[in-house]
Amino acid sequence: MVLIETDSLEKRYDDKVTALADLSVAIEPGIVGLVGVNGAGKSTLIKLALGLLAPTGGSIRVLGHDPIADGEAVRARVGYMPEHDCLPPDVIAAEFVTHMARVSGLPAATARERASETLRHVGLYEERYRRIGGYSTGMKQRVKLAQALVHDPELLLLDEPTNGLDPEGRRAMLDLVHRIGSEFGISVVVCSHLLGEIERICTSLVAIDAGRLLRSATLSSMTQHSDLLMVEIDEDPADLAEFLGRHGLEVRKDKRSLMVRIGGEPDETYDLIRDAVAELDLSLHRLEQHRHQVADLFRDLPTAEATHA
Amino acid sequence: MTAVELDSVSRWYGNVVAVNDVTLTVNPGLTGLLGPNGAGKTTVLHLMAGLLAPSQGTVTVGGEAAWRNPDMYKQLGLVTERESVPGFLTAREFVLASAKLHKLPDPRAATRAALGIVEMESAQDREISTYSKGMRQRTRVAAALVHDPTVLLLDEPFNGMDPRQRMHMMELLHRMADEGRTILFSSHILEEVEQLSGTVQVIVSGRLAASGDYRHIRRLMTNRPHVFTISSSDDRRLATVLIGQESVSGVSMADGALQVHASDYGTFTRALAKLAKKSGIRLTSVLPADESLEKVFSYLVAA
Repeated sequence: MVLIETDSLEKRYDDKVTALADLSVAIEPGIVGLVGVNGAGKSTLIKLALGLLAPTGGSIRVLGHDPIADGEAVRARVGYMPEHDCLPPDVIAAEFVTHMARVSGLPAATARERASETLRHVGLYEERYRRIGGYSTGMKQRVKLAQALVHDPELLLLDEPTNGLDPEGRRAMLDLVHRIGSEFGISVVVCSHLLGEIERICTSLVAIDAGRLLRSATLSSMTQHSDLLMVEIDEDPADLAEFLGRHGLEVRKDKRSLMVRIGGEPDETYDLIRDAVAELDLSLHRLEQHRHQVADLFRDLPTAEATHA
Repeated sequence: MTAVELDSVSRWYGNVVAVNDVTLTVNPGLTGLLGPNGAGKTTVLHLMAGLLAPSQGTVTVGGEAAWRNPDMYKQLGLVTERESVPGFLTAREFVLASAKLHKLPDPRAATRAALGIVEMESAQDREISTYSKGMRQRTRVAAALVHDPTVLLLDEPFNGMDPRQRMHMMELLHRMADEGRTILFSSHILEEVEQLSGTVQVIVSGRLAASGDYRHIRRLMTNRPHVFTISSSDDRRLATVLIGQESVSGVSMADGALQVHASDYGTFTRALAKLAKKSGIRLTSVLPADESLEKVFSYLVAA
C-alpha cells in the first residue's frame, strides 16, 4: 500500500504564503528520506499528513485514509516524532510514554507493558523511571522516538531525529531507525538536512523544493556509478597523472585524488592504473568507481534565498 | 600568520574538570574541533576567545595572552553556538554595531565588506527576525569578521542549516582559510568535517585525544590492522596471493569482495599493485574500509 499519496496538493497560509503548490507524489513503503531546503514545505507536508492542517487544494491520503475526515484512523496507524523539544520536564519517561499509549487508544494494562517494552527497544532501561528534565539530548530523542512507536504504528514520521546528537548518539539513532525500518517492518519517513544520513539509512528519497516535487527516486538510482575512477595514492599524484595521461587516459586532479575517466575499454583502464602504480613504485590507497551523491541534487539548484526574500 | 596555542591548560568549574591539561596549537587553515557532548569543546573555544580564564596553564593568540587582554580581540572573532541576535535590527545595523565596538576607522566600509564576504548584501536592510537560519548564521559570521580578524572561532556553525546553506557556509570557510586565516570550528557531523578539512583536534572527557590530519592519526594506530575491501577479476586467487604476504594478517571473503587486514600499512599498499600485476589479476576496487573520520573518531573515543 502507498504510504502517503498526494494529488496536486496545495497549502496556502492566509492566501499569501504558498507553502505547497501542486505537489503530487506517491511515497512507497520503505525507509524514505524527505529532504528540501528550509522553507521548501517539508513541515507543512508532515502537518497535512497528520491531519493537523487542512489542505487548501488537492488531496492527501495517508495509508489510504483521508487525515482530516478520517483522522482517528490515521493517528492509530501513524507515529510522529517532532523535531523541537516538546517533552514535559517534570514527568517520568515511563509515565509519559504510557500516557501517550493511552491517548492512542491502548487499554491501561497494555499501555504500561508496551511503554516499558518500547523504552527498552530504544535503549532506555533503568533511566526510564527518572524525570525527563534530567535527561541528556540523546535520551530525550529516544523518549520522543518511543512515544511515536508505542502503539505499534504502520508508519513513522521522524523530523530531524539526530538533531543535537554527538557522533556516537547519531550512530546509535541511525542504527535504531534502520532496525525499525528493516526488522520491525515499520515504514519510516525521515526528514533530515544531513544528506549523508539519508544516503546511509534510506531506501528511497523524496526531495521537495519551493512547495513542488523536485525528485522522487530510489536511493540506488540516485547514487549510481559515474564513469570516473577515483585513484588515491600516498605520494604526490603528479607522476601518476603524467604517466596515465601519456597512455591516453583522461585524468583530472581533485584534491588529494585523481579522477580518471574509464572510457570505452574499462578493463584496459583498470590494468593501466594497476601497472602504473606498480611501475612507479607507489602506494595504492584507494581505487574506486565514483558515485553520484544526493548532494548533487542541491548543488545545481540556484540559490533561492534572494527570491525567497 | 596567527596561531592559537594552549599550553598545559586546565579549566575546572568547582569540582568539575571541563578541560584537563590540554596542550595544542591551531595553525592557519581549517581545523575541526571534535568530541562527544560534554567533552569540553565549547570551554576550549571560550578559553581561546578570552571569555574564560584558564584555571591553570596559558592560552595565547598570536603569542599574546587571551585572558584579560582586550587588544587580542583585534585579531580574533568568535561565532557562538547560541544564537542571540536582536531580531529588530537589520543585518547592516547589527554588523555596524560590531564595527563601532571595535572602533574601526571606517565602520561603514568595514560593514559593507563583511556583508559582502558572507554574501548578505541583498538582504542587509531587512530585519533579522525575517531571516532564515542560514542567513542569521551568516550575519553572525559577518559581525565576527567585521574587523578582519586573522583568527575565527565557530561553535557548531552548521547547526540547523539546510543542505544548500551548508554548502554555502563550507565554501565561505574554505575561502577564508585560503586567505591564510586560522579557522577553528566545532561540529558533530563528521562527514562534513571530513569534507571541509582533514585536520582535527579531538577532545574526549576534557583531554586532547589526538590532533593533526585524521588519516595520519589513523596511520599512527599501528595496533589496529588496516582494513581494505578489495574487488578484483579473481578474488579467490588474489586472496591466496595476499595471505602469503608478511604485511597481511588476515583475508576473508564477504559480500562478493575481499576483506584484507593489513598489519603493515605502508608495505601492503606498496605491494598490492605489484602482486596483482604479477599474478595477472585485475583490481577493480580498493577501499580503505576503516579510514573515515568516523572510524578514527570512534577508535579514539573508545580507547
